[in-house]
Amino acid sequence: MSHRPDSATAMTGRQSVPGPDGPLESSTPPAGPAVAGPEGAKGRPGFAAELREIVQDLWHYRELLYQLTLRDVRIRYKQAIMGFGWALFMPSLIVLSGFLVRIVMAHLSGTTLETSSVAGIAVKAMPWGFFVGAIGFATGSLTGNLNLVTKIYFPREVLPLASVLAMGFDTLIGTAALIAVLPLLGVTLSAALLWVPVLALLVFCFTAGVSLLLSCANLFFRDVKYIVQLLLTFGIFFTPVFFDAVMFGPTGLHIVMLNPLAPLLEGLRLSVVQGHHLLVPLIETTSSGQQVLVWSPWYLGYSAVWAVLGLLGGAVLFHRAEFLFAEYV
Amino acid sequence: MTAPGIEVRGVWKKFRRGEIHDSLRDLVPALARRVLGRIPKSGALAPGEFWALQDIDFEVRPGQALGIIGSNGAGKSTILKTMTRILRPNRGYCTVGGRIGALIEVAAGFHPDLTGRENVFLQGAIMGMPAHLAREKFDAIVEFSGIADFIDTPVKRYSSGMHARLGFSIAAHLDPDVLIIDEVLSVGDFAFQRKAFDRIATLAKSGIPVVVVSHQLDRIAALCTEALLLERGRIAHRGPAADCIATYVLGDNRAPVDAADCPVRLERLAMAGPSEVRSGDWARFRISGTVLRPVTENLELVALRIRALQTGEVVFATSSSHCEVELPPIGPFAVDVALQLNVPAANYVIETNVWDPIRHRDASPGPTTRIEVTEGASFYGPVQMNAGMALARDPS
Repeated sequence: MSHRPDSATAMTGRQSVPGPDGPLESSTPPAGPAVAGPEGAKGRPGFAAELREIVQDLWHYRELLYQLTLRDVRIRYKQAIMGFGWALFMPSLIVLSGFLVRIVMAHLSGTTLETSSVAGIAVKAMPWGFFVGAIGFATGSLTGNLNLVTKIYFPREVLPLASVLAMGFDTLIGTAALIAVLPLLGVTLSAALLWVPVLALLVFCFTAGVSLLLSCANLFFRDVKYIVQLLLTFGIFFTPVFFDAVMFGPTGLHIVMLNPLAPLLEGLRLSVVQGHHLLVPLIETTSSGQQVLVWSPWYLGYSAVWAVLGLLGGAVLFHRAEFLFAEYV
Repeated sequence: MTAPGIEVRGVWKKFRRGEIHDSLRDLVPALARRVLGRIPKSGALAPGEFWALQDIDFEVRPGQALGIIGSNGAGKSTILKTMTRILRPNRGYCTVGGRIGALIEVAAGFHPDLTGRENVFLQGAIMGMPAHLAREKFDAIVEFSGIADFIDTPVKRYSSGMHARLGFSIAAHLDPDVLIIDEVLSVGDFAFQRKAFDRIATLAKSGIPVVVVSHQLDRIAALCTEALLLERGRIAHRGPAADCIATYVLGDNRAPVDAADCPVRLERLAMAGPSEVRSGDWARFRISGTVLRPVTENLELVALRIRALQTGEVVFATSSSHCEVELPPIGPFAVDVALQLNVPAANYVIETNVWDPIRHRDASPGPTTRIEVTEGASFYGPVQMNAGMALARDPS
């Protein structure tokens, strides 16, 4: 029985290129409904149709996505003494470095480091670690599986997505540990915690979109992985992980928040550590009595647009380039 | 609901020689155009491009098994890749109705660090096996592969035979609507090869559409109802598998040989009697030619080969030197040949040539003829031994 009649017809539409236009004699049928399929003579489905196709393909191959994620999770810590301990160790290391940086900063400015700041670093270390790890693994996911890409058909989206999901699994382990530690750092339950899943989803979407783009780009140009490595190494200076965006002053805040990840990380810190409701702007009074804007809901909107458009655009671009993969590797 | 079947219509596919990206300057605009969907008219060839497939047109319906044969680089794998959606044709289209079971690179998805068990589910998913089917068939897969004892060992510790056997077993349990096979018929040891072949034959004969690519012509002959012969990206011949293989085998042996300085020319091959002979009977024919100059080289001057057309295999070869026949020092000659055709009923071709035993090639090709061996005294096996049986008078 036919499991995928619609994609078979959709494929007809996409694969048919009309017209005997070459110098050679050809019996290629001319463009027409019989050849061009349901999308009509244009031969290329629209943005929405392509998205539907991607989702259908992924749904059809959901078992593969699961198995590849499982593979990536399993192999990451095989033959490693610490095993899944690494999933805790990596974010701990980020938190520890942040802690050291902040202690030095506090010492220089003659203040003391509050536990809430440490909690803030810990909360932001999770999504940052996830982003860096996922992008790092996903960038090489297509080139690392060339034997599959050139030999067997499946929606190639599953390769970078599995890398992202596997990293997501690691982050969940880390998050579980973090939840146990946070109360010790003075974090209390609040309604604002309901923002966490929303922010996590946005981080995930953004990461997935970037992963799709980068894995695809790296297949065509191997330089991409070096550039990515550079960006990820220095990214921590341009992303408010160790520090808070507000430390840069009113203008600096706006600039820092241009980084699509910045509002998501700051939003996490504010909602978890300060129990702030993210649809309300937050204005703090500094020790010198100045009124400073710390958070505006527009930041969230800005990041949400990046995340959603990034994912959709990444998916469609990936999908359009997909049929070139086997030829261009 | 699409009926199971493969339809390939006017497919053209071009590739480039050499490096794909000559420079960033010409790549970026080209890539941008493609991604944005403004593909230029794809009929013309840019410099350095060539057609890997030209106007390939065929279909495979349920009950049909199509073999694709041809020399290396003829485009066989490219056709399979367009069918399995790995490559997109420049013109024309391929549709495959139903779930494809592709026996191509059956162990490609194995991860060395995972155990056999984990890899079964992984590879199954890569080949599009639904989760419930993988669980259902797991025991059968392991049983078929015959490596049950090692199923929880990481596959990096497997021998290459075990690796291939497990891969094949997964692919063989796909339960596809359409079966595509590329050169996986020779995995494992002799016993496993036979088992694998039987399994494929069962699948192929279950009535689903099948496409097989193989260089093992006897496998094609045994599996396929029809065959395509590809030559440099074009369909050179299409017809019943045996005919197609015959065309391929004959065409292949007509490879041009530089015969200008060969001292002997073979001109005619004439059958004495019909070209149909019963298995076990004698065939008689005459080979005539001319000795052009005195022979100083070490050559077998009148050599002949009997080739089974179904498989392309040479079943018998001999020459005038083996038969201790001396040709005249110069001038025309004729050699009468008698052959007892102790071979099974099938089509054969008799090829004559001047054989160079040192360089192991034809010094000059001669004429050929086809001969049909019909059913003789009933027997089974690759050799006709003219068995005789009689009841013994004294059974002690």
